[in-house]
Amino acid sequence: MRKKMIAALLTGTMVLSTLAGCGGSNAPKEEKAQETKKAEAGTEAASKEAVYPSGTITIYGTGQPQYLQEYFDAWLERHKDIAPDVKISIVQTEGHAKSREKITMTALSGAVDDLPDATYLDPVNIMELSQGGLLKDETEFLQPYLKDLVDGAANDATVNGHTYGLPESVRPNVLFYNKEIFDKYGIDPAMMSTFDGYMEAGKLLKEKSNGTVYLSYISPGSKTWRYWGRRGLMPQANAKIWDESGNVVIGQDEGTKLALGTLDTMYQQGLLLKSEIMEPALYDAINNGQVATFYIGAFWDEFLRKNCQATSGKWRVMASPEFESVGKAGAPVSSYFCIVNKGDNVYAGLLEQLWHDFQFDSESRNTWVKSMEKQNAPYANPISLKLLQDDFWKAPSDYYGGQSFREMEGKCLENGAANLIITPQDAEADEIISAELETYVAGNQTMEQAIANMDKNLKAKIGQAKIMK
Amino acid sequence: MVYRRKQTTVSFLIHTVLIIISFLCIMPILWMCLISLKPSSETLSGIHSIWVSDPTFENYRRLFETIPVLQNAFNSIFTTIMGTVTSLFFCSLAGFAFAKYKFPGRDFLFYFVIATMLVPPETGAVPLFVIMKKLNLINSLWSLVIPRIATAVGIFYMHQYICDVPDELVEAAKIDGCKDFMIFIKIILPVIKPALASWAAVTLIARWNDFFWPVLYLRKQVKYTLMVTISLLPVSEGLSTPWPVILSGTTLVIIPIVVLYLLLQTLQKAGAMAGAVKG
Amino acid sequence: MLQILRKNKIPYLFILPFFLLFFMFQLIPTVWTFYISLTNWKGISAPEFCGFENYKKLFIDNMFWAALENTVVYWISGLIIIMFLAVAIASLLNYGHLKGSTIFKTVTFLPNICAAIAMGLIFRMLFDENAGLINEVLKAMGIGKVPWLTSTTFSKIPVIILNVWRNTPWFTMIIFSGLLNIPRDYYEAATVDGANMWKQFCCITLPSLGNILFFCSITLTVDSWKLFNESYILPGPGTSNTSLFQYMYESGFNIFNMGYASAIGVILILILAGISVVQLIARRKQEKI
Repeated sequence: MRKKMIAALLTGTMVLSTLAGCGGSNAPKEEKAQETKKAEAGTEAASKEAVYPSGTITIYGTGQPQYLQEYFDAWLERHKDIAPDVKISIVQTEGHAKSREKITMTALSGAVDDLPDATYLDPVNIMELSQGGLLKDETEFLQPYLKDLVDGAANDATVNGHTYGLPESVRPNVLFYNKEIFDKYGIDPAMMSTFDGYMEAGKLLKEKSNGTVYLSYISPGSKTWRYWGRRGLMPQANAKIWDESGNVVIGQDEGTKLALGTLDTMYQQGLLLKSEIMEPALYDAINNGQVATFYIGAFWDEFLRKNCQATSGKWRVMASPEFESVGKAGAPVSSYFCIVNKGDNVYAGLLEQLWHDFQFDSESRNTWVKSMEKQNAPYANPISLKLLQDDFWKAPSDYYGGQSFREMEGKCLENGAANLIITPQDAEADEIISAELETYVAGNQTMEQAIANMDKNLKAKIGQAKIMK
Repeated sequence: MVYRRKQTTVSFLIHTVLIIISFLCIMPILWMCLISLKPSSETLSGIHSIWVSDPTFENYRRLFETIPVLQNAFNSIFTTIMGTVTSLFFCSLAGFAFAKYKFPGRDFLFYFVIATMLVPPETGAVPLFVIMKKLNLINSLWSLVIPRIATAVGIFYMHQYICDVPDELVEAAKIDGCKDFMIFIKIILPVIKPALASWAAVTLIARWNDFFWPVLYLRKQVKYTLMVTISLLPVSEGLSTPWPVILSGTTLVIIPIVVLYLLLQTLQKAGAMAGAVKG
Repeated sequence: MLQILRKNKIPYLFILPFFLLFFMFQLIPTVWTFYISLTNWKGISAPEFCGFENYKKLFIDNMFWAALENTVVYWISGLIIIMFLAVAIASLLNYGHLKGSTIFKTVTFLPNICAAIAMGLIFRMLFDENAGLINEVLKAMGIGKVPWLTSTTFSKIPVIILNVWRNTPWFTMIIFSGLLNIPRDYYEAATVDGANMWKQFCCITLPSLGNILFFCSITLTVDSWKLFNESYILPGPGTSNTSLFQYMYESGFNIFNMGYASAIGVILILILAGISVVQLIARRKQEKI
């Protein structure tokens, strides 16, 4: 009897532990394999100089990974001597905020090996991650290259004097307009050099087309704050969410009133089509000639080219309208390539080299861009001054009726407004502010109420922001 | 005569209502399949979206290019099958214990099991994540299987069914010298086949469609289940995936399970137990 | 004590897995949630105890109240609509002279098979204000466009519709199997006695379904309060249709206010426990009658 009992208990515990063991051992098994590989390669690497151990580098990025992958794969081919068995894998995430969330979650879960080796980020999310010590400090590495990059390329990734990301692209906020529509109704696009003129143009369009043509769009979701607000009107109007000590001032700030008031005027006068951006309904409207302009970042070029071939040749680009009282053009939107702090940062050097070539090696860059063009894929202007000089970046574009989009993008960086100060509380603040703006767009409150509520909710939920100098 | 006519009107009404309801049930699914066959150049607005003038499988091809469909499908299949098999086994085992054994505290423990249904594990998502990390199960497909090896609902369901199995069968087996575990395998399992089939169907569906837990526990694209990857398609910031491609993804994620369900339906015809309990 | 364990080792062993798992993956997290809700843990550094501060913040947070209100709406509407439809459809399917009953049963169960997330994407297109099919149909009928997902008034409706569309079939099946258990003789006897269909329904069908309906209402309640997929995939402006559970997830895993999210979790637990107790008492009273 006893034997039977012990046998049964043993079998039971064995079954349970195999199951638990299986679960646990799956993950550590893979990691152990990688570790032994790394250890072996590590000892090899110690004997040869600057040869990187075999393995796969993971990079978080937005957009379609296979395009950048092309460049990385070609680069790895050319550098087999220092990285004989290294692969790069790009993981697509829904946005910079999502990349930050994933990285924070992974760090939280203690699975350091699962952290990516690098990630693309925007300033708000760099601020968040650098607070947790998750990004590698690149101040020293970047110092000698700063003079060869466009002005202020590294500014938005610099916190307390330390730069936590390598500048990847600096794209200005520009004004896209459909020239055919303007010609049709006899409106001069030059009047859009100021916001007053921009609104006037909208009114004229509405009158002359009997209400069928809209000046632009407004998003019922979070994109209105993101593109019209934080990246567009707010910096240009010199608006502030926080003051120098981190107190909430958005409710009383004159710049905010100017920025959001302009949006309010346009929306109330029926100049904006309420349609979510980057979705089929808006693309259909664009193709039917119902939307005349876009006040948005230069990245919008990729979306137009991909989804609105019907309007090819009709678009032009010009600098953003300015507020006459402030006199600054569109703020630049920078995106950064950040190396994640994971233990010994084995591949940091390799990635830094990769970044360097991507920014400064004209031959490989141009080859890649030509391939992107053929596939109608996205690519940004280079940020190194030398590369920008190349005639390639002044080439005219069919989509823009002969105008050189690339050249215009470079020009529009001039006289750019300064971006809003970034604080560690911005990610949460963006959600709160956007919620009020969305309620406004839905027609359930006036802009004054929206601003007042933003002020109230920011004070209640966040209180005070930490200003990093 | 009047009765006959009344019967036909009633019958006609009932059939019509059911047809309308069936149409409402199946319309979105059919529409989705239609759109997935549309080339990206065609408009999706309004009524035009119904008419497919140029059907193509191009969207599916692009889908396979954009995301690692096969890898993620494998992850989905693995978690679904492992989840179903373990659930079937352990829930029926516990149901058997509660139904056919008399032991101290049986009733109390059984009601305790039922009571646990009231507070869903989702409310403890934050600490659950930390626990999974400590167990080294983050990014492992097992994290989706282990916590739900035996669920309260499953035990409840199996218990109801096994209660109906005649005690004589169990008694006879005991007299023949069968050990308890053998009784379970050789006698109980074959008898409750219909219940197992319907529970399997329900669990399969629930695990395949699982979204919240995979999104929480899986952090690498190579580990994602198909459901997670597909839902990521439209939301990317820099992404301009056309809607037909997205819908071809959703079709891909829905059709296998529909086919499986239809297959299981034919197997299940025997059981009068058409009702199933959620997983 | 050990004697009892030894004597009944087999059944205890059989039910052990559940209790082990429950302890590790349900009990400990729930208790831990209570603890974290009293700190302002941000996930990365060590948690700092801060008492009931999170609860105070919750009290004045209008996003929380909006989410709570939305979830109550989802719960009540789901409970009423789904129960009503499930009973109705199950009765229809139970009709004695139904032709093609297998087809009807199969087709009406299809919505439950389809993943909420996937169908949510389709519903998003269907309910699009400018280009969606539903508004096209409404326009043709002369009613005009409805701003489904872009206005705060209507944005809950697509979520409710998706929830009902997906979950009714499941409850229909349960109630249908319950209907099967009611002997036909009851109905025949009632017909002989002169009772019409409606009376039969009220006096025979509903009472016999008592236990099943109770089970359905408890399940529906728990499911409504942890509604996530539907409101996640059909977002409306601001917090007009965010569910409570979604708000908890976003606070915890998007902004990483772990302490705050746990406080919401605790409130969810208390609400669920409270409602279940009330329903249990109501049922006990009903049974006594």
